[in-house]
Amino acid sequence: MKPESADNIMRRTILSSMILIPIIPFILVIFIGYFYSKIAIENRTVESMQRIVEDHRQMIDTFLRERRTNLEFIINTHAFEDLNTSRSIEFVYHNLRTISNAFVDLGVFDEDGLHVAYHGPYQLEGKVYKKEPWFKEVMETGVHISDVFLGFRDYPHFIIAVKKTENSRTWVLRATIDTHIFNTMVGRIRIGDTGEAYIINRDGVFQTQPRTGGNLLETDPSRLKYLKHHDGIATYTSLRDYGWFGGLSTPVHDDYLVATVWLKEKPWLLVARQEKRDAFSGLRAVMYMIISIAAIGSATIVLVAFNQTGRLLQRIKDVSGEKAHLENQLIHATRLAELGQMAAGFAHEINNPLQIIRSEQALMDFILTEMKEKKEITNDQSIEELEDSMHQMIVQIERCSGITQAILKFGRHTEPQIEDIELKDFIPEIAGTISNKASVHGISVKQLIDEETPMVRGDKGQLQQVLINLFNNAIDTIVDRHGSHGGKLSISAKAAGDKWVDIAVQDNGTGISPESMEKIFSPFFTTKPPGKGTGLGLSVCFGIVEGLGGKMDVSSQVGRGTTFTVRLPAATA
Amino acid sequence: MKLLIVDDEERFLHSTQKLLNRKGYDVETAPSGEKCLEILGEKAIDVVILDVKMPGIGGMETLRRIKREQPMTEVIMLTGHGTAEYAVDALLRGAADFLVKPVSIPELIEKVEAAMARRMVLEEKIRAAKALKAAEAGLSTQSSDPAGPEETITNTANSGKKQ
Ligand SMILES: Nc1ncnc2c1ncn2[C@@H]1O[C@H](COP(=O)(O)OP(=O)(O)OP(=O)(O)O)[C@@H](O)[C@H]1O
Ligand SMILES: [Mg+2]
Repeated sequence: MKPESADNIMRRTILSSMILIPIIPFILVIFIGYFYSKIAIENRTVESMQRIVEDHRQMIDTFLRERRTNLEFIINTHAFEDLNTSRSIEFVYHNLRTISNAFVDLGVFDEDGLHVAYHGPYQLEGKVYKKEPWFKEVMETGVHISDVFLGFRDYPHFIIAVKKTENSRTWVLRATIDTHIFNTMVGRIRIGDTGEAYIINRDGVFQTQPRTGGNLLETDPSRLKYLKHHDGIATYTSLRDYGWFGGLSTPVHDDYLVATVWLKEKPWLLVARQEKRDAFSGLRAVMYMIISIAAIGSATIVLVAFNQTGRLLQRIKDVSGEKAHLENQLIHATRLAELGQMAAGFAHEINNPLQIIRSEQALMDFILTEMKEKKEITNDQSIEELEDSMHQMIVQIERCSGITQAILKFGRHTEPQIEDIELKDFIPEIAGTISNKASVHGISVKQLIDEETPMVRGDKGQLQQVLINLFNNAIDTIVDRHGSHGGKLSISAKAAGDKWVDIAVQDNGTGISPESMEKIFSPFFTTKPPGKGTGLGLSVCFGIVEGLGGKMDVSSQVGRGTTFTVRLPAATA
Repeated sequence: MKLLIVDDEERFLHSTQKLLNRKGYDVETAPSGEKCLEILGEKAIDVVILDVKMPGIGGMETLRRIKREQPMTEVIMLTGHGTAEYAVDALLRGAADFLVKPVSIPELIEKVEAAMARRMVLEEKIRAAKALKAAEAGLSTQSSDPAGPEETITNTANSGKKQ
């Protein structure tokens, strides 16, 4: 496996912390938000369910109470004799029907349970009900509302019976309630799409037809749990019952929000229920919202993290690049200094043999001249050649000597004498020393010294050396390109920020090729013909400028010209 | 006129001596500063050509001692190092001139001649000064005569008073 690069490791570290650090609190906040809105929605849903159930109970209770009071009113306003005929009971029944069409029939019983008079769809007159539990109860308590039952008619119904005792006669008035109407009334509850309501009796038997999951008069054992006695409204729900995500998961059986309440008129339990998925549909909306917020938020965080990591890495790269560059420069400068010292020692040693050669040459020359004068040698041709050879020796010694002098200058380590230099005076002075040479080669020299140029800190002698070197290079390259017409050389100086001053020497010479560009500051690099340049000029300049705490820069375009910029520290006012 | 060349390069001494001899100069050589001082103690030397960088006591130290012992001797410094500091230092210490190796022989001779001329001028001046001093000395012997009688007078006066 390839070892991972430091860059990649750094990228991963930055990226993961940039993602994780904001995303953890973000997710936390989202969860807390979700949790609280869930509780709020749940409470609101349950409360509204309870309100609806309570209203519904009141309606059903009212219905039962009204039906009971209807009968009580009839029994209280009539004597047994008024109603013991089928004619009279029919009349009263019809009156009753105008009040409520839930009444299916009406009948009168004497105290022995004999069905004295009856009006309704069945033939019940003459039947004896003494043994029937409802009859027993009404005789005991005075009023009775029965559970739904099939009875003699084999049709589900329930009855309301009231008793009256008057002049030592006791009798009972009984009416049958249309279960269809009751059913409809109970079942008609509006809670969401899946809301429904039904009634079960104390044994869990359905008293009305539930819309789902069960039949009238049957028992659903799963609903027996609701039957414990309670005051007010009981609700059945739990977070786990409908899942963390508000029923987003597939609904399980009996996945309902349930509210129950006992009726007042009759020990019947009103049960209202709604599928949790439906009940808590608000929660689902919140869920979706939260998921999208989480998704968008996370995506944003990730995007920003990637973006910022990229930038950060780029910045780090830039900085380390700069650092490497500086290090390189430093190494270069130290190398230069070392090289300088070495070269100086070397040049010094060369000077001694050179001196000897010179002496020998002088001696030979002298002897030759003597011999010539004494006519000891007479071959003019040979003498001439010897003399030429002698002369060449001098020339070559001069050349060597020039090189060693330049090297010695380059390697010289003298402490600069730092002072504040006024460029407005200094540059024209230096330019003056080359103006002659420039005009000989037809070069126009321009000086552009900004009025605002601050003084620089440096060594006058050294700065002079730098500028003269740059001027000479410029003149050389101009002559190379233009001969003695059309050369342009400009010297400019201006402030660069508060702390620096730039001195630029610009020429319209040949320019520097990219290959040479890398080497021009190296000692002994020269493109000039042998004997013409030592290649030390720029490296000396570089060393000096570096020593003054400044920087040297060059920009060049082949065929256009070159600008050397010397940046020196401005004198602090 | 006598010349002394001091350098640790034997061959330089040899060939330069030969050349200068041929040109009519009386030349001595010394391979070190110590030897140079020794010769100076033995022979009358007019001009010394002194290399700066030598083993043993260097050129600068030798210069210092020469100037201390025989300030009249002209010294031309010769060095491979062309720095201004050395030149200034050497001149301050009394060197007549400063040459950078490799120096051309005609130039060397020129400097030697110049030094010699200077020395000659100096010697001339000294001689003149000495003559002046001698003259003054002679004058003062003569003028002691008038002082004598004065003294005598005083003495006489004193003695006269005493008496
Ligand atoms: N203004 C310039 N325009 C074009 N090339 C230049 C310029 N200045 C310097 N160079 C190039 O850089 C090389 C090195 O310059 P440097 O001054 O170090 O040495 P040199 O000029 O060749 O020798 P010396 O300075 O001893 O005469 C030159 O030979 C030349 O090729
Ligand atoms: Mg140059």
